[in-house]
Amino acid sequence: MDYDVAFPGLIVTRLLLAFAPLPDSLIHDHQLSTPLTSYPRLLEGLYLFRHGVDPYSGGLFRHSPLLLSLFSTALPLNRFTAALIWTASDAAAAWALVHTWRARQQVKGKTSRDSLIAAVYLLNPYILLPSLALSTSSFENTALLLSVMFAVQAQTSLSLLLLAIGTHLALTSWLYLPPLALLCLTTPVSYLASPRPLPFSSNEITRKLGTLATEYSAYLLALAGAATIVAGGVGWLDKTWGAVFTLPDLSPNVGLWWYFFTEMFDHFRPFFLMVFSIHLAVYPIPLVVKFQHDLLYAVYILTGILATFKPYPSIADAGLFVSMSVLFPETYQYLRTPFPTFLIHLHSSLLLPLFHHLWLGSGTGNANFFYASTLVWGIGMGLGVGDAVWAGLLTGIKGRFKNDADEQEWEITQE
Amino acid sequence: MKRPAVWLLSFLFFALSCSSSLAQDVAQQDVVRGFFDAQGGAVSSHTNNWAVLVCASRYWFNYRHMANALGMYRTVKRLGIPDSNIILMLADDAACNSRNKFPGCVYANAGRQLDLYGDNIEVDYRGYEVTVENFLRVLTGRMDPSVPRSKRLLTDDKSNIFVYMTGHGGNEFLKFQDNEEISAFDIADAFEQMWQKKRYHEIFFMVDTCQANTMYTKFYSPNILATGSSELRENSYSYENDNDIGVAVIDSYTHHILNFMEGIDKTSQKSIQDLFDTYSYEKIQSHPGVRSDLFRRPLRQTLVTDFFGGVAQAEVLPSLPEVIQRSSDAADTANSVPGAHIIPPVSAYRANDTYTYQATPAKGVDVAVVFARSATPGQSRALITFRAWASIVLTGSLVTWASRTRVK
Amino acid sequence: MPNRFILKLRVILRGTGGDKNVTRIQRRRKLGNLAWRLYPKLQILLLLVGYAWMLTIPSSLHVQRTYIDENALQPAQVNTYWNWGDVHRADLYLEELEALRDCNASSHEIATFLSTEFRKLGIPAAMQEYTFDTRTGAVHGMNAYAVLSSPRASGTEAIVVSASRRSQTGEPNLRGVATVLSLAAYLKGSSLWAKDLVFVVSDGHLDGMQAWITAYHGVAQSNLVAEPLQLASGVIWTALNIDYPGHSFSHLGVFFEGLNGRLPNQDLINSVQRIAQYTGGVPMLVYDHKGYNELPNQESAFLPRWLPDGLRQTPEAQEYAYRAENVVRHVGFQARGRASGVHGLLHQFRIDAITLFALPAHGPHGFHAIGRVVESTLRTANNLLERLHASFFFYLLVGPTTFIKIGGYLPSALLVSVAMLFGGMGAWAHARWIPPPPANEKQEQERWIARPRPLLPALFVVCSTHALGAALFFVCATSFACAAGVPSSRAPDHLILKTLNLCLASTVVSVTSVLNFSLAATLAIALGFPLSFSTPSSSAIARLGRFTAYASLALGWLFMEDEVTQALLNWELLGVWFAPFVCIMYTPLVLQAGIVCLLSP
Repeated sequence: MDYDVAFPGLIVTRLLLAFAPLPDSLIHDHQLSTPLTSYPRLLEGLYLFRHGVDPYSGGLFRHSPLLLSLFSTALPLNRFTAALIWTASDAAAAWALVHTWRARQQVKGKTSRDSLIAAVYLLNPYILLPSLALSTSSFENTALLLSVMFAVQAQTSLSLLLLAIGTHLALTSWLYLPPLALLCLTTPVSYLASPRPLPFSSNEITRKLGTLATEYSAYLLALAGAATIVAGGVGWLDKTWGAVFTLPDLSPNVGLWWYFFTEMFDHFRPFFLMVFSIHLAVYPIPLVVKFQHDLLYAVYILTGILATFKPYPSIADAGLFVSMSVLFPETYQYLRTPFPTFLIHLHSSLLLPLFHHLWLGSGTGNANFFYASTLVWGIGMGLGVGDAVWAGLLTGIKGRFKNDADEQEWEITQE
Repeated sequence: MKRPAVWLLSFLFFALSCSSSLAQDVAQQDVVRGFFDAQGGAVSSHTNNWAVLVCASRYWFNYRHMANALGMYRTVKRLGIPDSNIILMLADDAACNSRNKFPGCVYANAGRQLDLYGDNIEVDYRGYEVTVENFLRVLTGRMDPSVPRSKRLLTDDKSNIFVYMTGHGGNEFLKFQDNEEISAFDIADAFEQMWQKKRYHEIFFMVDTCQANTMYTKFYSPNILATGSSELRENSYSYENDNDIGVAVIDSYTHHILNFMEGIDKTSQKSIQDLFDTYSYEKIQSHPGVRSDLFRRPLRQTLVTDFFGGVAQAEVLPSLPEVIQRSSDAADTANSVPGAHIIPPVSAYRANDTYTYQATPAKGVDVAVVFARSATPGQSRALITFRAWASIVLTGSLVTWASRTRVK
Repeated sequence: MPNRFILKLRVILRGTGGDKNVTRIQRRRKLGNLAWRLYPKLQILLLLVGYAWMLTIPSSLHVQRTYIDENALQPAQVNTYWNWGDVHRADLYLEELEALRDCNASSHEIATFLSTEFRKLGIPAAMQEYTFDTRTGAVHGMNAYAVLSSPRASGTEAIVVSASRRSQTGEPNLRGVATVLSLAAYLKGSSLWAKDLVFVVSDGHLDGMQAWITAYHGVAQSNLVAEPLQLASGVIWTALNIDYPGHSFSHLGVFFEGLNGRLPNQDLINSVQRIAQYTGGVPMLVYDHKGYNELPNQESAFLPRWLPDGLRQTPEAQEYAYRAENVVRHVGFQARGRASGVHGLLHQFRIDAITLFALPAHGPHGFHAIGRVVESTLRTANNLLERLHASFFFYLLVGPTTFIKIGGYLPSALLVSVAMLFGGMGAWAHARWIPPPPANEKQEQERWIARPRPLLPALFVVCSTHALGAALFFVCATSFACAAGVPSSRAPDHLILKTLNLCLASTVVSVTSVLNFSLAATLAIALGFPLSFSTPSSSAIARLGRFTAYASLALGWLFMEDEVTQALLNWELLGVWFAPFVCIMYTPLVLQAGIVCLLSP
């Protein structure tokens, strides 16, 4: 289907869905939004802000002050505008994804897969449902995808600025800096099949990365300044960014942190919080090193890893990972376990709301039911990410082969 | 060094004076010890009795635990320990529970013959005040100055303390209030603190829970005698139900102890060993245990009333006519003066036990704090809008600047 | 000898030497081939084991005795003081109710009488009028209820004692209502109630209580116009419904299924059983099924006639038949999401509720026994400090004192689901790979030929069948005329469709089994073999024939008029999900399997 027809059509479908009468419980659902991204909390914070009370004095509002300023000035928030804003955000993210694909294919105009890519993002239930639930994770996804798009178009400043904005919305996004910065410096064209080291000397790399990191930090600080102006103090730091490190709110979500820390004695809390946070931070560098020939793939893998191991994930993060997989069709044939991954996702996405209902709705189950389903979700995500890594590496190994016959001669096994 | 002789002489003089005072002290101590060892060292040398009775579980179906504690309370009170020397901790109010068919009464047997709640009862720690922290503070004496006297364990080094605990327990722990636990180590450490601070002479520790004997396995302070209702991995069972109250009213072990105590009065010469000899699996449905290795006196010579009763040693002093007049009633030295409350000497207090009764600070102090912490209510709308727009403008300018500089 | 065995083991595990990686690859290939060859047999094996397990559910393999899990309950530990004076009062009430029935009093008059009687006892009472708007006309009624506030507690919790005016047998529940009135009079005399007692006499059978309980919890229903309740009480934790149609009774039957397959906490049933046995002296039954030794001929009618006598008359067979009868009755209620009595409407609000059905007989028990049982049960429920949470919520009650834990029956449905899953995965693999011709087995390197595997057409068929099912449901729900159409199909690869079909069916069975085991088991039985072995054939007639068979399996239920009407009525009135589930899940799944048969191979 022609992209020029499909894309507006999809947007219209999304708008219709957004304006359809949906159950109110969607907004409060624990799978679709987290304490850091929930819409009722956003409304609460805006209300407090408008009435002169510091929204960060309580423990409820954990959104970035930038959202506070945006929605109390330029974009007033009510049911009508919310649907428009969230649809626009998703449309921008889909548009960014399409343009990233085009840059990767080095095509200026349309490609045949454009509509498929837009449809995969806009109709993906993992992206659609949180967007209908008005969770601000949609903005996080949009910021990241726009940042990636600008990076592959070599517009470094915009890319870093959007990453800084994304970091303000979700602190864990700062982990995307290594691959994104390098992506700004290299080409997004697929080199998965022909891996080669970075075409820079180590001095050059240090210098360039240093510049980019400085620029990013400058943007981050400037935005932090803007945030401080809005919030009237630095109290927001502890409540928004600090929440990622101290995990104060143990509302259930699809992640692996919350149950662990409900059972944790206070004595051990700081240690394990540190371990879990450092665990997240060890992934970017090895990924960049391993996939230095195709940094877009590194970003893709990192989205999957963060979706699994973030402190407050929702299914929107998994949706980002799934949606970005359309950018790499050359790896599909090397995926080992796509079908089991799909099945595990199918089962866990049905079991998560079911067990949540059994625990908190009908009261016939308990927290362990829901926890078990989050573990299944984690297994599904882990399987998907591991398979993606495998496929990416295998593309590089098997890409050496000139023809199919040679390829079939060889079998790759893992020690 | 110029005059070694002077130094030597002054040292000798110093040594002599020390030794003489020491000798005097020793002589005094001999007299005191002689008073207490009057009957060959078999009689306990305590001068006052205290009881700490703890029921650690709440809810209506744990009625029997409250009845246990109240039964012990009635027993020690009957045998002479006054309310001021009893710390009674009841985690819930069974008597005034809305399910109680006999409001205001707590019974320990199926025929409801004896109301333990009665009209003369002083519960020191009630309801949610019965916590592990408060229990340990009671034992160790580390309390806020504002805690009233009736809630303190004002013991000294000549106090015999009867500590009774009942509730739900397990291997080396006892459940308080359904949400926290005290471990055997905690109690052992508390007793050691008490020993170091000279807060007890002897302790008799009795516990009636499931796997109760594990609770006393960790004690390491001297002069502690302990007994429990059941072994490791063994349950303690209730004794009987009352079919009008609808729940079990007493536990087997405590029922057995209380039965034994019914035969004890203030003059009883029954020893603790006699009590332990009555233990039997058939009657109690579990294996009660005894730990006496830390206890210095022989059990056959330790009276039950040494712990359960407010019996004190009294010696009639001869000589002065007025004293003879007054003491003509106290012919039998073995009798105690009921309710004799011997005020411990001041030197027994440690520096930490402050008894300065200050006025409690004004209640309004806390309120003022709230005001200081709340956000400034008077911030104008204009300022808020200005701040929001300022940050938007800043962000927008960042975006425009970034899109201008398109770096390759 | 051991040496050789170890050597052989070593060879198997480590290979014959040479490159370890080669050995690994060879081993993997061998395992892959083994899985390829064996998975159809594995599928059949799992299906058979699953169904065999289902057949063993009523046997003594899985049963265990019930026990009281919540310590606070202490059932049958109280003396009851319900006595002949109270029985006499109940008789008087009964006379008046009979008089009202004889002069054909209207709902309004009866409700007025009831609320007046409550007020005479000093208990605040009120009435509630309601109207249901259904396709068969309007259902109108008037409930009467009274709230006995707890004398010494704050009334934040409540226990409901209810009786519907019509019994489940269809007769008027006069004695049930009389019991409630007399109980109200008697219970007012004690001051030991920690919870409010709410006495409800609901009109009709299920409709009255639905109107009352939804109004109590403020839940609006589109086709119900009900007065809001004038009297309020606290959160309801437990409820007892009394169903006493006949003159006397010999047993007390307990009915416990709720809407959409929910069950109350098992402790409530266990407590009632203990109380009925020790305090009431009344034997308890599951539903109204008498045990085989109480039946004439000492023989259960449930065993098929063709079994030889020697086998049929053994105690094991009789017990099996008794348990099987209970299981089948339970599945009949739970799979269709029906409430087995008035109590079932309360489960959706997290209320543990059962119905005590006095089995009509010339038998020895009457008001005295049922009053004692209810009094003691209320004393037991009064002891609770929090909702029942300790005992089981997922169980199969196969006898008054025997039950099966979830681990004893759930795996049967899951095995069938796993078999279907294996079928799906096998079809997926078949869709991609063509195995090498068997003549080349000697060769090490077997070339498996890959073929492209387009997913979208099959996905389209799946979505369209489900959409069709949804459309079917809407059509059925809005009119009597139901049209079943065959969706137009392109030519997708039948294997991919089979994959999606089986995987979806497997997921549906697994996920439903936790929510409503009976429904999952019924689905497993209905879908297991048909879906796993749907294959197209070369002849068009055979394909058409197979498709017709599947279509009739999918849509044959349209011809069961009573069932359809009842299911749709339940959906309309009570929000039972069975009707939409059949239309949106079951029918499309079977239709997809039929389409698989219809496609060209």
